[in-house]
Amino acid sequence: MEDRIVKSITRMVIPFIQLYGVFIILHGHITPGGGFSGGTLIGTSLILYTLVFGLPTAKKKFSHRMSQIAESGGIIVYVGIGLVGLFISGQFLTNINAGFPLGEPGELLSGGMIPLLMIAIGIKVASTMVSLFHLLIEGDLDEDHPGIR
Amino acid sequence: MINQLPIINMLLFLATALIIPLLSRRKFNITLIFGFIMLALVMTSSFFMLFHIADNGAIIYQFGGHDSRIGIEFKVDLMAAIISLFVVGLTTVIYIYSCGDETEGVEQKEYGRYYILLFIMLFALLGIIYTNDLFNAYVFMEIISITTCSIISIKRKKETYAASFRYVMLNEIGSLSYLFGVALIYMVTGYTNIDFVSQSIQTIWQLYSINIIIALGFLIIGIGIKAAVFPFHIWLPDAHASAPSSSSALLSSIVVKVYIIVLIKLLFKVFKLDVLNHFHVSDILVVVAATGMIMGSIFAIAQKDVKRMLGYSSISQIGYIVMGIAMFSSLGLSSALFHIVSHGLMKAALFLSVGIIIYKKKIKKKDQFEGLAYEMPITMGVFTIAALGMIGIPLTSGFISKLTLGVAALDHRQGFLIIIVVLSGLLNVIYYLPIIISSFLKSEPKIYHPFKIEKVPWPMLTSVIILGIGILTFGIFPNLIMNIMTQAAELFGWV
Amino acid sequence: MKIIQVFVDNINFIGAVALFLIGLRTVVTKKNLIKRIMGLNIMGTSIFLFLVAIGNVTGGVPPILSGEEGVTYINPIPSVLILTGIVVVVSITVYSLSLTVKIYEMYGTINQDELTNLIREDDLHD
Repeated sequence: MEDRIVKSITRMVIPFIQLYGVFIILHGHITPGGGFSGGTLIGTSLILYTLVFGLPTAKKKFSHRMSQIAESGGIIVYVGIGLVGLFISGQFLTNINAGFPLGEPGELLSGGMIPLLMIAIGIKVASTMVSLFHLLIEGDLDEDHPGIR
Repeated sequence: MINQLPIINMLLFLATALIIPLLSRRKFNITLIFGFIMLALVMTSSFFMLFHIADNGAIIYQFGGHDSRIGIEFKVDLMAAIISLFVVGLTTVIYIYSCGDETEGVEQKEYGRYYILLFIMLFALLGIIYTNDLFNAYVFMEIISITTCSIISIKRKKETYAASFRYVMLNEIGSLSYLFGVALIYMVTGYTNIDFVSQSIQTIWQLYSINIIIALGFLIIGIGIKAAVFPFHIWLPDAHASAPSSSSALLSSIVVKVYIIVLIKLLFKVFKLDVLNHFHVSDILVVVAATGMIMGSIFAIAQKDVKRMLGYSSISQIGYIVMGIAMFSSLGLSSALFHIVSHGLMKAALFLSVGIIIYKKKIKKKDQFEGLAYEMPITMGVFTIAALGMIGIPLTSGFISKLTLGVAALDHRQGFLIIIVVLSGLLNVIYYLPIIISSFLKSEPKIYHPFKIEKVPWPMLTSVIILGIGILTFGIFPNLIMNIMTQAAELFGWV
Repeated sequence: MKIIQVFVDNINFIGAVALFLIGLRTVVTKKNLIKRIMGLNIMGTSIFLFLVAIGNVTGGVPPILSGEEGVTYINPIPSVLILTGIVVVVSITVYSLSLTVKIYEMYGTINQDELTNLIREDDLHD
């Protein structure tokens, strides 16, 4: 879009949206939400960036290579944490018996392995949303649609 | 170590699906060999699991060490071990076929994506066979639905997209209907674990009989849509008509059968026989299955395209399997399990040999098969063996399954079902036999042509030869697997 | 009077079933492809409403530990089931929408009747 007001306001608001998304991901074991909804928020902020500033600029910020790393990395971290439980104690994805430190319920650093899993899921969901959006609107760029240019 | 094998099998498939994008930049043969090694590893581990379970009983695997009431568990009993071995084995043979098939519309760039989707689909197939939790089965069901739909529409042609859109819509109605049934069961019992749900239902079904009958209805309709039981079969022939041959073979031989296993688990482990006999479920399923057997064959006679005809023939054979289940006896269940394995082999052989014919000669209608047996003897030989197996000629495995199904039908209290079994066999003759006979006749009289081996890539020939030998072996020595099937069917506790 | 009492007591369940049937009718009857995808979403949402209505305990508070004694919490398990269900329905919606984009590129229409006619013409040419 060519509008100056929209561009300035977006540039100011996007960090707050991302901060809120990170807050929801990190507090996944205390409050409702967790990895899925937090990842959706971060993904939505990047989709807003794409809509306002155009597809080529957004592709420089979030390239194909980064989405490959994020998606594979998310799954590998998740399965790796599960395998730690398998080797130490005997069942996949164990929490207490595998020695993850449990704090007091209600604090931020508690719950064993659950915050780590939430971070992995959040990164993966955000990367999936953005790359799917870029894929869907790629075929739509031409002279008749100056909205996304 | 043996107890960790279920999760290790699934993680091996997931790891393969993650590593393939890193490999496929260089020569493509590395990817194919790597996939084959992984499939062979999982097949050997499935063999070990089968021998261990046959001696020692079921493997129960609780995720995270949590108790069964609050966590998810996998329970691998004898039937799950047999079916998982069948799934992995048949997928290996179809994988060998697809390694040699370069030109049927699957271009080189798409190749890596095809195998990624295949391995994720295998991960979810093993998961839904092993799981002991109703909601976990829903999640795996959706993964299978998306990956199967992508495998079918991997060719970038026009008509695949409209067919796969209809496929997704119908399958989603089925999944959401299944989820509604699970929500109703959770409302009544408070658990989603199969063992605890069945204990709870045995004590309270008199009080909440309306909830249970509605839940039963939603669950059977949901799984019926996904397993292509007769009134809900609309998506199957369209999905076959424009897909690559290996995808059609996978869909019709493996994916549909896994949903029938979910139906068996639901009927006989969750709602046991008292509840089902009170609601007359057996009579309803028998009528549905019998209609499917006859109408599937009648629709197949009218088709001109070979792949659509094979799709309608699948619907008729799935009617056989559901009738075996609906007998509610040990003999019926073991004949249904045997027909799952034998129909899988025969239908895969038919689809793969039709695939070779399309690759070499580019024909698709069923009246263009004249004289083909002299130019492609091995392919038409395997097609003939598989078609004779579908009809039910002795020495093939199809004969054994029809025989046991007939004996189970006579044991049931309504003896007229044997007439429907025989009638459906006769209808099969009408559309298979003309193809075989026309391929052995040539219209112009020529001097004697010696049989020459056709020039197609060797993986395609090897896979159909393996399937043909398998059909004949299980026809001549059925006790190799019939004993284990009977042992597995006894475990469900019949009155 | 009794029927109205029963209706008001179970209004959540009746609403969930009504939404399920509305969604089913939309998927089966409408001709526009995007409306059918919306019908799938409505069906999914109705099942989540049903699960929430099951888990409710009269006079309960949200299941977050707050250090007080003697409070009854509502059942937390349906929330977990719904979270997984939402993710699944969103992924199916994304897949169907990308198929719709491809159909529009290939055929130029997203109306089911015109699609059937175009496919039938293509078959006749083969």
